[in-house]
Amino acid sequence: MSGVTTPGTLEAIQAFVVDGCRRAGADDATGFDLRLAVDEACTNVAMHGYAGAGPGPIGVVLESDGTWIRVTITDRGVSFRPERVEPPDLAAEAERRPLGGLGWHLIRQMTDEIEYHSDSDSGNRLVLGRRIKP
Amino acid sequence: MEITAETSPNVTVVSISGTVDSGTAGALATSLREHAGNGGSHLVADLAGVDYMSSAGLRALLETVKEARQRGGDLRRAGVQPNVLRVLDLSGFTKILKVFPDVAAAAASFPA
Repeated sequence: MSGVTTPGTLEAIQAFVVDGCRRAGADDATGFDLRLAVDEACTNVAMHGYAGAGPGPIGVVLESDGTWIRVTITDRGVSFRPERVEPPDLAAEAERRPLGGLGWHLIRQMTDEIEYHSDSDSGNRLVLGRRIKP
Repeated sequence: MEITAETSPNVTVVSISGTVDSGTAGALATSLREHAGNGGSHLVADLAGVDYMSSAGLRALLETVKEARQRGGDLRRAGVQPNVLRVLDLSGFTKILKVFPDVAAAAASFPA
């Protein structure tokens, strides 16, 4: 198990995830996918979870058991309801596509397992799991 | 991320390389907006050098497509790495951005 706790940059978090995936034996595409999922999740926390409250802490821990890689992201910002995030209309013409709203969609696409828990004592915890390809 | 632009009388080719994420997409959007607004609404984005793109980059591209089309132009794409192509595809952007095999073909696709 390894982890980083901000203050760090989103760039540092991305590098940490790519490195962790490589150490866990995942191929480059899997590393890319988890980097993207974690980046989107942390960007959401920074932009929405901590909106108006200034920068806050984000913890990122990566674990692997050889079959799965799981990244746990923790924060103390405003919680959200993942099940309420509407999927984007991917077939719409450019003119009808809204700006934004793709972050959570990409997180869903890039992972095999998502778990979210929020309570006022421990804050928010998002676990993003991905099966490792040999 | 690095951005270079080459303007010919009819088309501006914007070559992007490196990481396009929430930290860099703002600069990309500003640069593309500048080119789309300078009477150069015929834009080609060369993404061959982009090794990573998040939804923040997609937003910058979509914003530019809308802006360019409102002005009677377009943003067309040439070159992309496999991982970034997957992001575009999963987000419905392979439908939004007309794709060409190379920069010359994309540039030539605009009416003179």
